[in-house]
Amino acid sequence: MGKHKKNYKMRFQWPDAIMLAVLVVLALLIVLPFLNVIAISFTTPKAYADTPLLLFPKVFTWENYETLFQDGRILIGYRTSGKFLLMAMPMNMFLTTTIAYGLSRSGYPGRRFLLKFVVFTMLFSGGIVPLYLTIKSYGLIGSMWGVALSEGINTFYMIIMLNFFQSLPESLVESAKLDGAGEYKILWKIVLPLSKPVISTVFLYYLVDRWNEWYNAMIMVRDTQNTPLQLVLRNIVLDSQNLDNIMTESVEIFTFSAGIKMGAVVVTVIPVMCIYPFLQKYFTKGIMLGAVK
Amino acid sequence: MAKNTTGVKKPTFKKTMKEVARFKGVYLIMLPAIIWYILFSYVPMAGLSLAFKSYKAKLGIWGSPFTGFSHFEKLFQDPRFIDSVIRTLKINGGRLILTFPCAIILALLLNELRVGRLKKVLQVTFTFPHFLSWVIIASIITNVLSFDGIVNSAIDLLGGEYVNFIGNAKLFVPLVYITEVWKGAGWSSIIYMAAIAGIDQEQFEAADIDGASRWDKVWRITLPSILPTIIIMFILAAGNVMTKGFDQIFNMNNAAVQKVSQTLDMYIYNVTFNAKKTDFGYSTAISMFRSVVNLIFLIAANTITKKLGGNGLMGGND
Repeated sequence: MGKHKKNYKMRFQWPDAIMLAVLVVLALLIVLPFLNVIAISFTTPKAYADTPLLLFPKVFTWENYETLFQDGRILIGYRTSGKFLLMAMPMNMFLTTTIAYGLSRSGYPGRRFLLKFVVFTMLFSGGIVPLYLTIKSYGLIGSMWGVALSEGINTFYMIIMLNFFQSLPESLVESAKLDGAGEYKILWKIVLPLSKPVISTVFLYYLVDRWNEWYNAMIMVRDTQNTPLQLVLRNIVLDSQNLDNIMTESVEIFTFSAGIKMGAVVVTVIPVMCIYPFLQKYFTKGIMLGAVK
Repeated sequence: MAKNTTGVKKPTFKKTMKEVARFKGVYLIMLPAIIWYILFSYVPMAGLSLAFKSYKAKLGIWGSPFTGFSHFEKLFQDPRFIDSVIRTLKINGGRLILTFPCAIILALLLNELRVGRLKKVLQVTFTFPHFLSWVIIASIITNVLSFDGIVNSAIDLLGGEYVNFIGNAKLFVPLVYITEVWKGAGWSSIIYMAAIAGIDQEQFEAADIDGASRWDKVWRITLPSILPTIIIMFILAAGNVMTKGFDQIFNMNNAAVQKVSQTLDMYIYNVTFNAKKTDFGYSTAISMFRSVVNLIFLIAANTITKKLGGNGLMGGND
């Protein structure tokens, strides 16, 4: 990015100092809340009450995490989210890749219609109420399968992939066809190996989306033994905190201390942090491939 | 399937079928996804017909009897519905004015920054919150802004009065804007950074020879060069004015701000999934209103984008 030639006026001037200061302050506004959350989660409630501006654990303790995991809901959350990823991700990737490949081919009757058929879903949708009733009519309410199926293809990601497939030289596919290879074989052996960047990008997009899933699960799966992590976090943090804010006096009637709640935030953020280097590597590519195109 | 039969020479049915047979592998590979689109996109769309029916749980979405336009008659006399539509347009219209430019400003600032390594670190920091769900962001924000949170502690140390950020109806919408920028400006700025990177460097060099100041260059070269990108992003954002921000508002909502947080999507949620007795026909009528208005917005946005020479949502795939 920013390939300014380095031969003109590269002196550091006072506007640079101001801009740098502004940007660093903005970055701190993002970093400090995270540090605060982490620090609270590793600090005893008493130490937290005594140290208002907490940015690193004053009295270090695992206590909050122990209580959090004893509660069991976090483990249910991890289990459900893990299972959900295993259900949804292969389906997402399979459906997205196959239709993107099919639409990237040309010359067959009905292609234009299929494109319109697919793109129309980006412009118009039934919304959550008919979706809920449809899933219900399929008998999928109460199961994470209903959630996974309702999110089978993200058409926007599909189009990112389609654009990439279309940029591959057509002769590759044609010559493979002449050799008698079937469509699955062409996709698997020729197109996919050449499309690693876009596959990785779309995979990561889906991964983040599925990991962050909560709304459809909240509506379609009302089962305390089958709650994805985000929803567990929501239940732990927001419900009690809302109570906290309604009351003007800080009467502590809720069961979870701030430390435990922030521990729940941390364990939900950690997996995203772990894949963030990969996201960094691919997301710019994705946004280029898809957004302004 | 034979939609492309508008040419002078009409391909016969037989010929089309021959072509279909030749490409059967392609159709076959797409079949699972096509079935998915039908079952999980088009069937729910057809389910909007429930807006004209009176829903009976036993008869289900397809068997319930038609009632005509009664839900819509009720709908347009429902003050809570009308309020929610106006509120949605106000909140999301405000985003276009207040939060939309932030990403552009951030991109310009980052671009002008001449410390390469630090720039990377800053960008990585600004982009991170984009990947977290609103559940997490709302938890963090609520923690930071609560009574014993770090912000109020800082205010206290500086001798100020405690501020009730979270349970304050007046502060709710400003907080929605601020948190949106907090979460998304870094991510949105990437696209402008890319547009800036694509500007022909000779323009800047020529400006240098003419003795242009940095401000001149930003104002007269950088900004005009990325203006097409800005316009397209703006129109796309405007197209989402009906649906934007449900995740965010749902998670930042609490009892104290309920009056100001009732956007259309919140209203749909509340009358459908949060009510003691749900009239699914009525809920669907609201859903239908939302879908149709959204479609109109998106088509308008798309048409304008195309007129301006962009590809629009439909892309250039035809």
